[in-house]
This record gives sequence, structure tokens and C-alpha cells, in this order.
Amino acid sequence: MSYLELKNITKEFGKLAALEDVDLQVEKGEILGIVGPNGSGKTTLINVISGYYRPTGGEIFFNAKKISGLRPDQIAKRGIIRTFQSNVLYEGTTVVESMLISSYQQYRTKNWQSFFETRTWKDENETVVGRVIELVKLLDLLNDTFLPAEGLSHGYQRMLGIAMAMIANPSVLLLDEPTTGMNHEEAMFVVDKIKKINEQGVTVILIEHNMKVLLDVATRVVVLSFGTKIADGKPEEVMNKQEVIEAYLGTETI
Amino acid sequence: MRFIDYKNVVPKTVIGLLVFLILLIPVFTTNVATLSMLILSGIWTVAVMGFTLVLRTGQFSLGQSAFLAIGGYTSAIFTVKLGWPFWPSFFLAGMASGIVSLLVGMVVLRVGNIYFSIITLALGEIVRIIAQQWEPVTRGTRGLILSPPPPIILGGFKINFEASPVPYFYFTLCLIAVTALILWQIGQSRLGRAFAGVALNPVLAEHQGMHLMKYRVIAFTVAGVFTGLAGSLYAHFLTVITPYVFGLWQSIQIMIMSIVGGISSLVGGPIIGTILLYTLGDYLTRVKTFGIQPLLFGAIVVMVLIFLPKGTGLVDLWGRFWTKVVWREEEYEPDTPDD
Ligand SMILES: Nc1ncnc2c1ncn2[C@@H]1O[C@H](COP(=O)(O)OP(=O)(O)OP(=O)(O)O)[C@@H](O)[C@H]1O
Ligand SMILES: [Mg+2]
Repeated sequence: MSYLELKNITKEFGKLAALEDVDLQVEKGEILGIVGPNGSGKTTLINVISGYYRPTGGEIFFNAKKISGLRPDQIAKRGIIRTFQSNVLYEGTTVVESMLISSYQQYRTKNWQSFFETRTWKDENETVVGRVIELVKLLDLLNDTFLPAEGLSHGYQRMLGIAMAMIANPSVLLLDEPTTGMNHEEAMFVVDKIKKINEQGVTVILIEHNMKVLLDVATRVVVLSFGTKIADGKPEEVMNKQEVIEAYLGTETI
Repeated sequence: MRFIDYKNVVPKTVIGLLVFLILLIPVFTTNVATLSMLILSGIWTVAVMGFTLVLRTGQFSLGQSAFLAIGGYTSAIFTVKLGWPFWPSFFLAGMASGIVSLLVGMVVLRVGNIYFSIITLALGEIVRIIAQQWEPVTRGTRGLILSPPPPIILGGFKINFEASPVPYFYFTLCLIAVTALILWQIGQSRLGRAFAGVALNPVLAEHQGMHLMKYRVIAFTVAGVFTGLAGSLYAHFLTVITPYVFGLWQSIQIMIMSIVGGISSLVGGPIIGTILLYTLGDYLTRVKTFGIQPLLFGAIVVMVLIFLPKGTGLVDLWGRFWTKVVWREEEYEPDTPDD
């Protein structure tokens, strides 16, 4: 069985099937790109994997254990962390505060130990602060560390979204269009960081509209159209498939 | 930068001095009316602290008076009807109230938000109605008559609760101190951060591994325990407990006191808000302008919301939860170029 495996996943909203019988295998260490026209079910796929929605049919396995039906926090605890298509922040916090709230899963210290301010809590705090600094540097947020998150530009809020997901300690990172609304240069910067994150041993599932970006970063690409998987393979092969080109005609230029 | 302010919002020496002065109050005045007012506002302060803690997980409880009532009645029933001594009844009051908040929390806090507010509001009324209707145990509207705690013998020195309100004054201070200490520790711990996450963005927090219900229930239960203890003290101090003193208006007062004091601090805000409004309410009652109190309190809340929105909204206030951690950050000198 693969690292992360979706079996016959279906998600219906009333009569609309946002996902229909989707089978997907994700191997440890890969960067899997997901493309598809607007409304093809990409975000729903992430929502179903991360537990935001329960699939109406099918099962999801991670590390050979069933995770479909679990709550989002239980799935996050197993190491699957997602970002959001829009900028989702902790309102009113600074970058460093957002990072510290998000560092929840970095700790092995129990709540009661932190209550009594034990040695382990203090030590672990220092480690975590170090990791926060590392990530803030990685995503170019160092100079904004103490600024309100809401005051950041769109691009930097996207970066913060990734940084917060990273401090949540992912084994699998689900990125929902991290480069949306960015110019080419910014997008390439993010792509570079995604590669770095992947090199740190994190498996990445990346939703991305921009085919050029995917060709550059993805080790494999899956194409969704109307909630079904229409292609799955090496980026170059998938891009040239007739069905894929058709699915994109009129909705997206490749 | 603003995070530096968090380190010492109020300097320790100032807090120390304030505590010292408060401890000395009975030396300057033994006036029963003055001390009674301070004691009662102190008891309400504990309830307001509980409310504020719950609010900091993003939940509005409209039934905190229920826990004062549960604490008060537990204590009254066990001492009066069952002949238990004071101390076990006092702690049992906190436990009973805590258990009720735990159970109610586990049922309602799964969904939280408006449902939580509505159910807690209903809980407040249900508890009051039970106190009114359960005649054989609570004596209905006639209420129960309690006796003060027994004297405490400390090194040949006898502290007598019947002679003057001074012992109650110190008892109340102890209760506030213990509550404050626990809230402070919660604030600096992982719990404090998780509370902030859960309140500021539940969806995001949940996707980062925080179990929403768990943290909401912890806050609500801690609040329940201390509010129950406060309720017990309240009943023993007044030596009478009737259903009239625990209703929606009391719950709303707790809410107003919390908002007026500001929820930026779990301890300072509730103390300031409660003393301010309790004194005002007490004065209004004494000059016999009953109807005006709710109006005036409402007006005060509106003023606070208009003029100090940052002191009352959920935003911009979490910093003080983190004092220590954020402060440590300084050593990394984030403005120096790197790499
Ligand atoms: N909560 C919901 N209720 C009803 N319908 C929904 C819901 N969420 C998604 N849908 C529908 O499911 C389909 C797939 O939506 P989804 O957001 O997954 O698309 P997407 O591939 O992420 O599109 P985009 O590129 O615009 O982000 C759409 O038709 C959408 O309207
Ligand atoms: Mg989408």
C-alpha cells in the first residue's frame, strides 16, 4: 500500500459530485502536482484528505491506517497539514505570534508540564523558537516577524500560510494554490521553497494552475476534470494528453 | 516594538505594592459596609475571571450565574441538610460546579458559538427554577440559612468568622489569588496558546492539530470550578441563599464586568471591571434607583465598545498570553540582515 492512498473517494454536495470515484496513490517523498479547471474538485480533494469534509464514499489510508472519518485535528496529528486557497490567518496576531500558535504540534511537552513550567517545557520552547526563526528566514518573513499578519501584502500572507503549515510539523504538506495572485518572480521563489521543503523530507501535494510551474517542480501530475481523475503520470506526458488539452480548452490556456 | 510592552505590562513592584496595600485595608477600616462591599465584589471578580477565561476560547457564556448557584446551593445543602462541616462542603461546591460545567461543555462545546450561548443561558434559568421548585431540599423561595465557616485556630490565634467581616476579606483574597495564579499559569502555558488559536481561527487551529472541544471544555470547566467555589463563599458570607440572586441579570452583569475591565488580561481586567461596576451598582441600589442600573450598565458597555474597541474585542489582545516567549525572540535580533 502506498504512503497516502485514496480509494474510490466520492464527495457529493447534494446532487453535485465534486469528486467521483477518485483513486490516488501518493508515495513518500514525492511532489505530486494536481491540476484541473476551476471547479474540478481540487480544493475539495484537499478538504477531504484533511478531514474538513467527510467523503460520502470511499476510504483514505495514511501509513496503512484509515484516516477518512477522523476529525481535522486527528488527521493533522498524524502529520498531514494543509494550507488554504485564500489567506487564512490568526486575526490580530503578529507573524511570530501566528507561528507560535501554529507550533502546537512541535511540542512533546504535555499541557500540565507547560502549566508548571518544567525544564522540558523551557528547553522545548527554545528549540521551537529556533525552528520558527528558521522557517521565517526560509520564507523571507524575517523583516516582518513582529508585524501584524494582516498587514502583510498578499504574497507575504501566502508565504506565512506555508510557514505556519511547516511549523505544524507536516510529513505530508497539502498546498492549495500557494502561488495564486503572485507574479512570476514571486511564484518561482515559492516553487524554490517548495523544493527545499521537499528536500527536508516532506511529501508535497501541490495544487497549481500554472502548468509551467508544475513542469518545473512536480515529480508527478494528476489531472482532475468534473471531479474525476482524467490523467496521472509524468508531467510532460500528462500535459500532452488529448483529454487534458480538451479539459482545458476554453477555460485555461496552457 | 509593541511586543516589548508585553514584558511588564504592570511592573512587578507595582503589583507587589498594590497587593500589600490591599492586604492592609482592614487596618485602615473595619467598617462593615465597606468591607462587605469589597468582599462581595471580590467574590464576583472570581466569577468574572472565569467568564473571561471562557471568552478567551472564543465562547460567550450567558449562564455563569448557574455556577455561582450550584456552588452556593451545594455548600448550603451539605452543611445545613446533611450536617457536613464547612471545608469539605466548600470544596465539594467547586467540584459539583466543575462537573456540571464539564458535562454541559462536552455536550454543547462540540458545536459552540451561538448554541453554547443559548444553552448556557438556558442552564442559568434551569438551575434557578430547580432552586425555586425543589422545595424539600432548597426550601424554594424562602431559601436556606447557612452558618459562617468555623473559626480557624492559627498558632494560638483564633480567626473568628462570626465576629467581623475581616476574615472573609482575607478568605476572598486567597480565593482570588489562587484563581489568578492558575489563570496566569494557563496563560503562559501551551494551553494559553491553544486557547488563542481556537478563539482566533477555529478552522485553522483545528487543521494544526488543536482539538477545539478539548480546549473549550478545559476553559469552561476551570471557570466552573472557581465560580462554584465563589458561589459557596458567597452563600456562607451572606448566610442565606435564595434563588433570586442567581438569574440572567447576574450572568449579564458578569459579562458586562468582563467587557468593561477588558479581556486583555485574565486577572487585571476582571478585577478592575468588577470593582468599578460593583461599587456603582451598590451605590445605585443604596440611593434606591433600581430601574436605572441595567440602563446605566448597558450604556457603559456601549461606551466601552465605542471608545475602547481594542480593549474589548478578541483581537490584538493575545500578546499578553505570550510575554515570555515573545520576549525571548528579541535575542535573535530580527532586523539584522542574514544569509
Ligand atoms: N461546500 C460546498 N457546497 C456546495 N458545493 C461545493 C462546496 N464546495 C465545493 N463545491 C462545489 O464543488 C465543485 C468543486 O469545487 P472545488 O472548490 O473543489 O474546485 P477547485 O478545483 O478547487 O476550483 P478552483 O480552481 O476554482 O479553486 C464546484 O462545483 C463547487 O461549486
Ligand atoms: Mg480550489
